[in-house]
Amino acid sequence: MAARSGGSSFVQPLHPPSPKSPPKYPDLYGKRRERAKVQMLEREISFLEEELKSVEGFQPASRYCKEVTDFVMANSDPLIQLKNQKSCGFWKWLCGLPCFNMACTSCCCNSGCCCYLKCPECWKCSLCDCSLCNCMSCKCCTSSDCIACKCSSCDCSSCNCGSCFSCCKVPKWQCCCRKMCCCNFQPPSCTNCCSCKWKCYCPKCPKLCNCFSCTKTCCNPCC
Amino acid sequence: MSVAELKERHAAAIEAVNDLRERLKQRRQQLLDADGHKLHSFSLLYYLAGYARSLGRSQVTFGPTDLVCCRTLQGHTGKVYSLDWTPERDRIVSASQDGRLIVWNAQTSQKTHAIKLPCAWVMTCAFSPTGQSVACGGLDGMCSIFNLNSATDRDGNLPVSVTLNGHKGYVSCCQYVPDEDIHIITSSGDQTCVLWDITTGLRTTVFGGEFQSGHTADVLSVSINGTNSRVFVSGSCDGTARLWDTRVASRAMRTFQGHEGDVNTLKFFPDGNRFGTGSDDGTCRLFDIRNGHQLQVYYQQHGDKEVPLVTSIAFSISGRLLFAGYSNGDCYVWDTLLARVVLNLGSVKNSHENRISCLGLSADGSSLCTGSWDTNLKIWAFGGHRKVI
Repeated sequence: MAARSGGSSFVQPLHPPSPKSPPKYPDLYGKRRERAKVQMLEREISFLEEELKSVEGFQPASRYCKEVTDFVMANSDPLIQLKNQKSCGFWKWLCGLPCFNMACTSCCCNSGCCCYLKCPECWKCSLCDCSLCNCMSCKCCTSSDCIACKCSSCDCSSCNCGSCFSCCKVPKWQCCCRKMCCCNFQPPSCTNCCSCKWKCYCPKCPKLCNCFSCTKTCCNPCC
Repeated sequence: MSVAELKERHAAAIEAVNDLRERLKQRRQQLLDADGHKLHSFSLLYYLAGYARSLGRSQVTFGPTDLVCCRTLQGHTGKVYSLDWTPERDRIVSASQDGRLIVWNAQTSQKTHAIKLPCAWVMTCAFSPTGQSVACGGLDGMCSIFNLNSATDRDGNLPVSVTLNGHKGYVSCCQYVPDEDIHIITSSGDQTCVLWDITTGLRTTVFGGEFQSGHTADVLSVSINGTNSRVFVSGSCDGTARLWDTRVASRAMRTFQGHEGDVNTLKFFPDGNRFGTGSDDGTCRLFDIRNGHQLQVYYQQHGDKEVPLVTSIAFSISGRLLFAGYSNGDCYVWDTLLARVVLNLGSVKNSHENRISCLGLSADGSSLCTGSWDTNLKIWAFGGHRKVI
C-alpha cells in the first residue's frame, strides 16, 4: 500500500509477498501405495494365521532331531574316519609328511604323484586301483607343494624294487618315480649268471652282470 | 477410504503381524519344551545338541594334522568372492574382485580358463551341472553365462554366451538347477529371486517383489534342494530365510524367523529336509523345512570382542560337519549334532590370511575349498586317522 504524501501520516508497512498455496489435489499415488502396503500386511496376517493353525498338528521337535541324528549316523563321511581305520597316508605325503606305512606299498597313492588328489578307496590301501593313476599330467606341477611330482610318466604298479630300502635314501614311494635309481645297489656276483635271480626293473639299470665269467648283457632271461 | 484411515489400518496390521509372530514363536517353543529334552534354560539354542547328548552321542575330534591344506590355488589378484565345484570332475570356478573368473583343475592346480568379465564387479559364480558352462553375476544386475568350449575372441577372451537381464538390482547369488544346464536361479538386491530359462534368456518365474509376498529387503543367497530341485531357500537382509516352490511364485511356502541380522548364506542339509543359515548376527542355524522349527543355533562366545559375521557355510556329505567362514578369518568346523567347534581352519598351518568369503565341498565330499580376501583359494582334505571317542 503506497504511503500518503505530505503531512504527518501513518505509513502502513508493506506486507511480504504471500503467494497463493497450490490447490489441494488428491495424493493418489501416496494413497495407492499406502493401500498396497496394507494389502500386503493383511496377506501376511492370513499366512501367519494359517501357519499358527498348522503348528498345532506338528509332532514334538525331538522326532525331527531323531531324523537328523539317524541320517548323520547312517552315512559315512570322507572327512571323518572311523576308529582304527588308517588312511594310506597319501594326504600325509601331499602335505610333506613321509608315509612309512608298510601296507601302502601296493597303493598307487604311494606313487608320490600329486595328480591323484583323490584316493577315496585308500582306507585300505590294497583296494586302491593303481590303473586309475593318470600321472601323465604331472608335468604341470610347478608348485612347491608338489615336491616329488616331476615324473614324466609314473608307472606306479611296476615298481618292484625290493632292494629299494637298502639303497634309496628316500622312502620307497619316491623311488617309484625313478628319481632315485636303486641301481646304485651293487648286484651280487654270481658264478652262473644264467641262474642269477637278481632282477632290476629300474630303467637306468644297465642290466649287466658283474660275473667275471658272464658274457651276457642281461641276466634277465626275458631281456 | 482416506489416507489417514489407511495409515491407521496400516499401523493396526503391523501390530497384528507382530502379535501373530510372537504367538507362533511361543507355540514352537512349547513344542520343544514338551519333549523334556532341553538341557539348558535356553533350550531354543541347544535343542538338537541336547537331544544328541541325551542319546550319548560322542563328539568328533580332530588332530592337528587331520584336516590339512593340500593345495593353494594362486592366481587371482583381488579378493575372492565366490567359488563353486563342478559336480562331475574336480574343477572349481572362482570369481574375484580382479574382474575375472578362473576355472581350476583341483588335482593339478592348473588354470584351465581365465575369463575376463565385461563387468568387473562380480559377486557370484556357479558351474553348470555338466561342467560345460559357468555363470556369474554382480553389480551390473545381470547374470552372464560363458560356454567353456567356445572359441575365444580376437583379444583372447571367452565371449558371453547368454546374458540374463531383468533384475532391478545387483545379482548376489546364482545356482544352476541340479541336472539341468538350462535353468538357473538368481537372487538379487531388488528383493526377488528369479528362475531363468537360459535357452531363451527369459525369466520363467519371479519370486517375491512388489506385488507378491516375499522378502522385504535385499536377497543375498539361494540354495536349491539337492533331493527335490523344485524347492529352494533364500536368505535376505530382512533377517529371514524363505522356502519357495518353483511352481508357486505368489508366496513363499514358509518364512523362517530367528536371525537378528542379514542372512548372508544358506545351504541345504544333505537329507533335503533341513537347511543351515549363516548371518551377520554371528550365528549359524539349522531349520526344518517341513515345520519351520529352528533345531539348533551354532554360536561361539567372543567375550567383549566384536562378533564376527558368518560369510559362508557348507555341510559335509553326511551332515555331521558344518563348515562356517567368518569375517575375522576364522573357519570353524562345527559338530552339527553336538553344536561344538571341533576345529578352526583359520588357525592351522597354511591357513588363509584374511576373511574367508566363500567355501564349498566337492561332489564326493572328500575335499573342501575355501576362498578368501587374501586372493587365494585353498583345498583341504583329510590327512590322517581319527577316532570317534
